[in-house]
Amino acid sequence: MSDRRPLLLKIGATVLSLLATAASAAYVTAHVKNPSAPLQPSVLSSSVRPADVQPVTSTYAS
Amino acid sequence: MRPELHFRAMGTTCSLFGDGDLVDGERWVRSFAARITRFDQSSELSHLNAAAAWVDISPELEQLLRASLRAFEMSGGLVNVAVLPSMIAIGYTRPLAEGPTAARLDQAHSAPLLPNVLNVKRGKARLAPNVRIDLGGVAKGWMADRLCERLGANSLGNLGGDLFARGEWPVEIAGQTYLLRDLGVATSSTRRRRWGDMHHVIDPRTGLPAASGLEEVSVAADTATAAEVIAKTALIAGPDLAPAYCATHAQAWWLS
Repeated sequence: MSDRRPLLLKIGATVLSLLATAASAAYVTAHVKNPSAPLQPSVLSSSVRPADVQPVTSTYAS
Repeated sequence: MRPELHFRAMGTTCSLFGDGDLVDGERWVRSFAARITRFDQSSELSHLNAAAAWVDISPELEQLLRASLRAFEMSGGLVNVAVLPSMIAIGYTRPLAEGPTAARLDQAHSAPLLPNVLNVKRGKARLAPNVRIDLGGVAKGWMADRLCERLGANSLGNLGGDLFARGEWPVEIAGQTYLLRDLGVATSSTRRRRWGDMHHVIDPRTGLPAASGLEEVSVAADTATAAEVIAKTALIAGPDLAPAYCATHAQAWWLS
C-alpha cells in the first residue's frame, strides 16, 4: 500500500490540474468579450444625469 | 441665480459658483497658482526644480506632490509630472498666450519613473538631479477639489476644465448638459492647446505628444483630481485600453 501512495498522489494531482484547466476554459468560453460593445457607453452613475437645462459651465479648457 | 465669478489664472479661464466667498476663492487660486508655476523662477515649484536636494515645502505643495505620486501609481505611469523637459523640447517654454518657441525634438525623451526621482517627507521634498516637474493638470484638479472645500456647500469650481461640483449643478460635457452631484469632472484633449503638429499632452513613454487614436476624453469621478488622472490616462492609453480603464476607475466617461 505504501508503495502505491506516491503514485496515487501524482494521479490525483494530475486529475485535479486537468479539471481546473477544463473548468477555466469552460468559464472563459461562456463569458466571451463582446467585440461589438460600444466604445462610448451610456452614463453609469446616478450622480450623473442628462438634463434639458442651460449649463452653468463646461469642462472644456479655454 | 446663484452668484458667479469668472477670471483668468494659470493661463486659462476659471469660474466659481455658489453662495460662498467667491472673492476669497479667487484670491486663493491666484495665490496658490503663483506658488506652483514653472514660469516664475521665484515660485516654490521653481525652487524645488532647481535644487536637486531636500528643500522645505509648504503643506499644500506637499499634498500636491503626494497627489502627483498617487497619480503616477493610479495611471500605471502614464500621468507623470516629470515630463517637463519634453514639454520644453516641444516648444512649451512659456505661457501659450505668448506663443510656443521652436521645437527641439531631439531633446525630448522618456520621463523617469516618478517614485525613483521624487522624494517627499513631512515639510520637505527632493528631486533627483536634472529632473524637473510641471504639476499642470494634476494641480488644476487638486485645486478644484480644495477650492470647493473652501467655498462650502452648493459650490462649483471650474479651473480650466477641471471642475468639482459640490451639490447639484448642470454642466456641459461632450456637447450635452448633465446634472452632476458631488462629482469631479475633467476633459483631456489634444484638440486644444495645440500648435502645428504639437499639443500639450505628453506621453511619458516617448516624451512626445500623445498619438493614441483618441483625441478627447471626459471623465466624471469622485474628485476632480481623480477625473483629471483618469481622463489623461485614457487619452494616452488609446481606444483599446481606455474603455476598460474608465470602467474600472470612473463613474462616467465620454471618449472621442
